[in-house]
Amino acid sequence: MNQRIRRINKLVTNLISERKYIWLGMDSARPHERPSAFDRMLTPVHRWIWRDADRRVQKLLRFSETETDGGRDILRAAEVTSDPLLRRLYLEHAIDEFRHGILFRHRAAALLKVSPSTSNPAFQGAWLAPGGHGLDDLQVDRESDSEMLAFLHLSEKAAASRFTVYRNVMQHDPPTRAVFEEILHDETFHMNYTLTQLARVEPDSHRQHLWRARLSRLWKVYLRLATGVAGILGSMLLTIQYFVLLPPFAWLAKRAARREQTGWTVVAPGRSDSLDRQY
Amino acid sequence: MNILGISAHYHDSAAALVVDGVPVYAIQEERLSRHKGDAGFPLLAIESCLELAGIEPDDLDAIVFYERPMLKFDRILTCALRAFPRSWRSFPQAMKNSLGEKVWMRGIISSHLGVPGKKILFTEHHLSHAAASFLTAPTRRAAIMTADAVGEWATLSVGVGERVANGPTTIRRFREIRFPHSLGMLYSTFTAYLGFKVNEDEYKVMGLAAYGRPKLVEQVRKLIRSTADGAFALDLNYFEFHTTAQRSYSSRFVELFGPPRNPYEPIDLETAEGQRFADCAASVQRVLEDTLVELARALQRETGLTDLCLGGGVALNGVANARLLAESGFERIFVPPAPGDAGCAVGAALYCDRVHFGNPDRDLPDHPFWGPSVDGAELARLAHEDGHSVLEFQDGALIEQIASDLAANRIVGWMEGALEFGPRALGHRSILAAPHTTEMRDRLNQEIKYREPFRPFAPVVPIETAGLYFDIPPGGTRLARFMSGVFPVRPEWRSRLQAITHADGTARVQALEAAMAPRLHALLEAYGQRTGIPVLLNTSFNLAGEPMVNRAVEGYSTFLRCKIDVIVGGGTRVMKRSSTMARPHIDKVKEEVA
Repeated sequence: MNQRIRRINKLVTNLISERKYIWLGMDSARPHERPSAFDRMLTPVHRWIWRDADRRVQKLLRFSETETDGGRDILRAAEVTSDPLLRRLYLEHAIDEFRHGILFRHRAAALLKVSPSTSNPAFQGAWLAPGGHGLDDLQVDRESDSEMLAFLHLSEKAAASRFTVYRNVMQHDPPTRAVFEEILHDETFHMNYTLTQLARVEPDSHRQHLWRARLSRLWKVYLRLATGVAGILGSMLLTIQYFVLLPPFAWLAKRAARREQTGWTVVAPGRSDSLDRQY
Repeated sequence: MNILGISAHYHDSAAALVVDGVPVYAIQEERLSRHKGDAGFPLLAIESCLELAGIEPDDLDAIVFYERPMLKFDRILTCALRAFPRSWRSFPQAMKNSLGEKVWMRGIISSHLGVPGKKILFTEHHLSHAAASFLTAPTRRAAIMTADAVGEWATLSVGVGERVANGPTTIRRFREIRFPHSLGMLYSTFTAYLGFKVNEDEYKVMGLAAYGRPKLVEQVRKLIRSTADGAFALDLNYFEFHTTAQRSYSSRFVELFGPPRNPYEPIDLETAEGQRFADCAASVQRVLEDTLVELARALQRETGLTDLCLGGGVALNGVANARLLAESGFERIFVPPAPGDAGCAVGAALYCDRVHFGNPDRDLPDHPFWGPSVDGAELARLAHEDGHSVLEFQDGALIEQIASDLAANRIVGWMEGALEFGPRALGHRSILAAPHTTEMRDRLNQEIKYREPFRPFAPVVPIETAGLYFDIPPGGTRLARFMSGVFPVRPEWRSRLQAITHADGTARVQALEAAMAPRLHALLEAYGQRTGIPVLLNTSFNLAGEPMVNRAVEGYSTFLRCKIDVIVGGGTRVMKRSSTMARPHIDKVKEEVA
């Protein structure tokens, strides 16, 4: 037992302190020097989005939240796993994510200091850039180690690809570029350790797990898109109703409000007697 | 009779189980889901309640939701109509929010638990607050005042409660103040203006207030005026919370108080701008206190009672509570350990038991420890796996060892017994440290809690000696039981209690009774024997932005991520590998264990 613990500790210390990348000869484990084709295709859009200072601040703040949320999820994974090696790696990963959150926040604060935001840009391109994995509604407590690792690997890979684009389009803003550079380094480590650990935990079926995770991500993208579209349609319908149906009721409500007295309202005896009512 | 109380969908969801008239379990969803202030439907908390009691949903006689969802929807819709057409942006979101889930509580609870709809009952929000406060307090007859941001329509209510031993219980509310006129919203508006998170960071405003002077009281009084009948009304020209979800205050508010604080900029109290924010905090704090005192004084005169039960989120304001005790005419003030919305789960269940089902009154255990217990063996296993120094102790030896650790300026993560219900760490999930120097306060702020330097830490002291170190007025120890009052540190001790003495010379003290937390009480005494002062700094066992730890594994992961030196869970003590410990000390510990 003690020997095993010592072995694990040594391995983790090596992995973490030296940030060693263990290669398995798989495509997905390579550091991201080139973003994915999709991200490359969107480069002009990203360039346009990041050019605006307000939008840059908003996006950095959003990334800060996403990274911090992701850190919490991974921290939870560290708490629920029964594998000591994974626990320590997850913990290190979570600490990185929290640090990224701080880096993004500080950079946004610095940008705000230089030019205080005056507007809330209507288009932030948020759906284009989910960043880490805080938005994927992860049920950490219910995921197995292999599912978690596959999910994390793909998330980190996607984030690394996207952050590479951001770094590349940020030539005009070296400090922000440096933030992405630093985070990219960590993302590469995260991408690799998750893959090597997946191969350790599921030596025979790690590829299946990765495919399953890819499909699951696709499904989540679809759900997100569908929810987004449904949300927009819902908002449009409700806004139309608001202007078409509500004006007479609004007039009545305003008239009633004018008659309403401020100060105490007597609570009628028996008002709370029935617990069956919802009103 | 098994009754489940539920609070959800605003902030800090919770579930509580009352069996035969006594709460047996209560927990906030955030402690299980690990999302701070989790407002979702508290399924984990409910499962946890049922599992602990060993019952199935079918065994529940009633499930009580803490407010009336349709009445709340009525308020939301009415406010949107009144603000027409300014509310056009917030209307779709508000409707989707309410109609998507919140108004269908009977169906949601029924489908989650598989129980018939007729078993699902609803109390009023402020009635749940009143019941949580009155029915858990060791008093038979008391005036009741509840105040928060908003429930359905009510934002503040007053009344009386009466319990007859083994007999009936009545809670009668006389009157209420209705939305948008709200003390909670007034305070929350300043919370937002000062760059803090609404519904979460109000206590930071209170902490900041100690650094300012109430220079802006006149300006704040423009926002809130007394009405002829002794209530108050907000001048809505200064607010926007009732018309939009985007911003709480209007441009007139900004004209009156100046530009709001950028939330991403730290508050520098050395600058004029930082001081202005502190003055704002001090001024709204003063006006809040004055208003509460006036209302409570009138209530005391009206009822002639000596006891006051306070409920609602506003009751978390310890400075205001202490002023109420001093100036309202009430001799005793009872604030439950969870006066906010989470506590409504307990209140709703108890109200249902005593009033709806008419069950006889019963005395309840007077402590806040209603959650799951910590498992020392789990902590030992985790620490062994990571190669940390783990020692298992018998009770007495553990207390002596931890007292020595604290006396040696080590910071201790302390977990024992059942988890606290409510926002305060009251001795079962605490970070403990020596309270004597400002260095310790700064170390905790910078290396462990990662929080603003202006925020104070609280002390815990045995009730027997509390009066020696703190100027606690008659009746004050009751407020100090659950850390609900802020009292002055006696001047002669301030230099030796620097880490817990706030800028204005006060502290949010916990006066600990041995019966409530015997091990912590023993630890305080052992620490007192070593240092001459049986006072410890006691802060919640969590890091910034995270809920308080629940299980040993959560305490352990927190321990690994910050500079806590020692963690204790049950009889297990773990010391961080990197920490150095004097060899003779280790040998002594080994001898003790042997």
